[in-house]
Amino acid sequence: MGANTAVAPPHESAGSPPGNAPAPARPRRRRDDRKAAWLFLAPALVGFALFYAYPTVRGVYYSLTDYNLLSEPGFVGAGNYRQLIGDEQFWNALKVTGYYVVLNIGSQTVLALLLAALMHRLTRSVALRAMLLVPWLVPNVTVGLVWMWLLDANLGFVNHVLDALGLGTTGFFTSPDWAMPTVAAVNTWAYTGYTALLLYAGMLQIPQYLYESAALDGAGEWRMFTRVTLPLLRPVLALVLVVSLIGSFQIFDTIAVTTKGGPVSATRVIYFYIYEQAFNYFHMGYASAVAVVLAVILGVLTAVQIRLLRASRSDLA
Amino acid sequence: MSPRHLRTGAAALLCLAATTTLVSCGSSDDDTAGSRTTIDYWLWDDLQLPGYQDCATAFHRANPDITVKITQTAWSQYWQNLTVELVSGDAPDVWANQSTYYPQYAAGGQLLDLQPLVDRDKVDLSAYQPGLTGVWVKDGKRYGLPKDWDTMALVYNTTMLQKQGVDAGQLNDLTWNPSDGGTLEKVIAKATVDTKGRNGLDPGFDKDHVKTYGFLAEWADGSQGQNGWGDFAASNGFTFLDKNPWGTHYQYDDPKLAETIAWFKHLIDKGYAPPLDKKSALANSELLMAGKGAMMVTGSWTISTFTKPKVKQKFAFAPLPTGPAGRKSALNGSSDAIWAGTKHKEQAWKWVKFLASPECQNLVAQRGIVFPALKTATRKALAVHRARGEDVHVFTDAAAAKDGTFLLPVTENGTEISPIVQDAIQSAILGEASPEAALKSANDKANDLVK
Amino acid sequence: MSRIRTKVSPGRIAAWTVLVIALVVTVFPFYWMVRTALTPAADLYTDSTGLVPDHPTMINFLRVLGLTSQEEAQAAGGSGAHVDFLRYLLNSVVYSGLIAALQTLFCAMAGYAFARLRFPGRDVVFGVLIAALMVPPIFTVLPNFVLVKDLGWLNTFTGMVAPSVLMTPFAVFFLRQFFLSIPRDVEEAAVLDGVGAWGIFWRVVMPMSRGPLITIGLTTTVWAWKDYLWPLLTGREEQTRVLTVALGIFQQQSPNTQPDWTGLMAGSALSVLPVLVLLIALGRRLVESLNFTGMK
Repeated sequence: MGANTAVAPPHESAGSPPGNAPAPARPRRRRDDRKAAWLFLAPALVGFALFYAYPTVRGVYYSLTDYNLLSEPGFVGAGNYRQLIGDEQFWNALKVTGYYVVLNIGSQTVLALLLAALMHRLTRSVALRAMLLVPWLVPNVTVGLVWMWLLDANLGFVNHVLDALGLGTTGFFTSPDWAMPTVAAVNTWAYTGYTALLLYAGMLQIPQYLYESAALDGAGEWRMFTRVTLPLLRPVLALVLVVSLIGSFQIFDTIAVTTKGGPVSATRVIYFYIYEQAFNYFHMGYASAVAVVLAVILGVLTAVQIRLLRASRSDLA
Repeated sequence: MSPRHLRTGAAALLCLAATTTLVSCGSSDDDTAGSRTTIDYWLWDDLQLPGYQDCATAFHRANPDITVKITQTAWSQYWQNLTVELVSGDAPDVWANQSTYYPQYAAGGQLLDLQPLVDRDKVDLSAYQPGLTGVWVKDGKRYGLPKDWDTMALVYNTTMLQKQGVDAGQLNDLTWNPSDGGTLEKVIAKATVDTKGRNGLDPGFDKDHVKTYGFLAEWADGSQGQNGWGDFAASNGFTFLDKNPWGTHYQYDDPKLAETIAWFKHLIDKGYAPPLDKKSALANSELLMAGKGAMMVTGSWTISTFTKPKVKQKFAFAPLPTGPAGRKSALNGSSDAIWAGTKHKEQAWKWVKFLASPECQNLVAQRGIVFPALKTATRKALAVHRARGEDVHVFTDAAAAKDGTFLLPVTENGTEISPIVQDAIQSAILGEASPEAALKSANDKANDLVK
Repeated sequence: MSRIRTKVSPGRIAAWTVLVIALVVTVFPFYWMVRTALTPAADLYTDSTGLVPDHPTMINFLRVLGLTSQEEAQAAGGSGAHVDFLRYLLNSVVYSGLIAALQTLFCAMAGYAFARLRFPGRDVVFGVLIAALMVPPIFTVLPNFVLVKDLGWLNTFTGMVAPSVLMTPFAVFFLRQFFLSIPRDVEEAAVLDGVGAWGIFWRVVMPMSRGPLITIGLTTTVWAWKDYLWPLLTGREEQTRVLTVALGIFQQQSPNTQPDWTGLMAGSALSVLPVLVLLIALGRRLVESLNFTGMK
């Protein structure tokens, strides 16, 4: 669903006091805006109660039942969780998701860092940045379909090129060894430009004089990158990393249009597994239990993210 | 707050929030305006779509107040989509069922019992090909009326095989066994040609540069193996279940099946069949047409794919090979079922009855795509094929042969068992696990689901 | 806008080469998508390597826009199933537009209340709301689906946008931070003029906050535009089917033996088109909004 995990705070707010502390009160009359406030808050509070709080409670409840979406749920206690411990497919789903996250985040971060550093030192072109952003603006579904076509074992352009180079063809989405690296590469393609722009934005905040004085000291580009850019970018980089990580764990769309979990469960990631259990096999209760486990994992990551969010404010402000 | 109150509250608030939009907040999604009804009908075969469109048109002419809206979804996603629609409470009124997959819906109370309606309207069940009606009955409840039937055969590229000195006569009497592959394997080896023009029996044959594979095997074939391994395993003496339909114990751990799978893997290792990990999104039939293969197993519902005038290559059909336990073809039927939650039960029944009637099945027969379930309509379809000069007798022979057919497995939870078995077979074919180990573990899981 | 070094060196050439390669890799798949969409399906076997199709055709676009008969569509490689991408395009615009506009408005209201208004329990309520960040979408998708289903809202825009229009924790957080940074003097002048809270918010604060509001609005539009799982579950029917869902369904309604690649690429191209329009119209704004925030 939509946008609900954060990366960076607005830089324009850097001058204001951070955190929850109310702004210092002027020695004027103390206002009490109770009525107006609740009106202002009403939509958000209703949205929170109905679509965040209530479903959270309900989701936990479902995970303790045998709900199948067709008839009323029956309480089964910790049954789903016990089943989960012995469920090979569940552990496999965690494993392949982890594999994907490592491949995707690893390649994406390195490439984005490279692109951002190059842009930072070479050009301020908006057109270039806009072009790099295109894959991010396109739905994952489209991205998946386009790459499935480019990589098709018989008719795909990439395989034609490989074949012409004498490398033979590869079933990128149909070989269990290739499928996950392929999906990871496709999503790296889709998100590297975006990630690069975030890092680039972070680099723009590094004071120019640091580079100038480094240059005066005779530092080369590589030295400037490792001694100036990287250390000062660290807070932004950490934040971008955690947010990408959280997003990466939730891979679904690309899998749903390309491999559909196959071949031989090589890409049956946790999100897809939850979807299958709930909507293909009528196991809503079990799917909810798997979702609870995923929520715990992501919750920990988000907690880290919120910490970094605070840290980055104080570092960069 | 009770959930109900909460919902009403939410509804009110969101309607308020959405007043700027074109959204209606009524909860009516009834498509009956006046006395007009639309029946949603689902099927999976794009080739059959035109035939059933004919039926829908004829039906609408006879019943102007009922319109049938047909949706086709490719086989690979059909059942998943159907389940999502059922869960949403928005399933099609009528859909085409297959025997392995329907029990899950019957068990979930999603299918209407047609027996009372059959009794009421005196539908003559003896008019259908024998064996097609019983599969849809469980505990005295009837979950579908027969629609069509199919058997399996080999389809081959006559030009390619002739070039290798294999003629139709040889192909009609092929033998097969899992240890040396019988005469079938010899034909396959001959039909495999590398980029330098050497065939699979040539000592210099280069299995890494194959131009045409002798055999194209199907590995996305669920728990049934209808398009290959299932038929071969059956001719090796394998049976899916302790009893079919409604068995309670799967036998995928039978060594006879493992041997069969091992033989298929051996075909790939020899370079006679394409490796599974190089497969594209194209179906085998497309590869056969593109000249990338010489032979494959196919079902009678695909006849027209190979015989339509547009096809540049020349194809012919041959019976499946005779195995250690004889020659066996899957005999399968599909049916039309009514969703238990339909709002238009009578209209849906009218449509299902029409689908199973001579009028519609003759229209379907006219297209010469599938064999309809009615005996008379089957004869009509055969006549259509004959008129087009298409030799399809191997399919009807297979159906008529004594002990020549077997039913696809029918048990609870077929939808869930299907990917388990498919995964096991694929991992064996890919060499990730031995056939014995993979099938044993899949069998245990499958049996947990039918207990 | 300062350039650091302008002299031509091997290092600079290498660096530019890398950037150009990155651009080519970024853009080529889109070119290939359009190229395939312009190729007749029958040519795919013989003509799938050249950079330009041998016999360019518009038929694939026409048929995904539902402008051909069933027979023509089947002859061109489709399954003959009814498709109408123009409608799906409009649905996508409605879906993402509704979510972006309403979510931005409601979150701005909430953010303003948290930043400026005084009321008991403010910090507690804010903390609780922000805690919703910790709930991953998949976790709420399942029960929200049941809720929307029970409300009878499946396949209505109401049901599809309901969970995201009222609030999203990040937008509340983001806008609150921004409002905190606005100098108070302006508002206080308005208070002295006797303008109420709503008037200040609507006539003073909102116009001043155009930048961050557009940022939130744009990024929300992009995410809603890309949404797949939720509209797949709640809006598959024709009248609410968005582009992503339509592409998925179109893929499944391909002929059994051969994916309808040319049709799929035509549909994919249509899903990219509005993005390009957005980029051309608002490119600078969009790119710069990433300097401002980053959202997932």
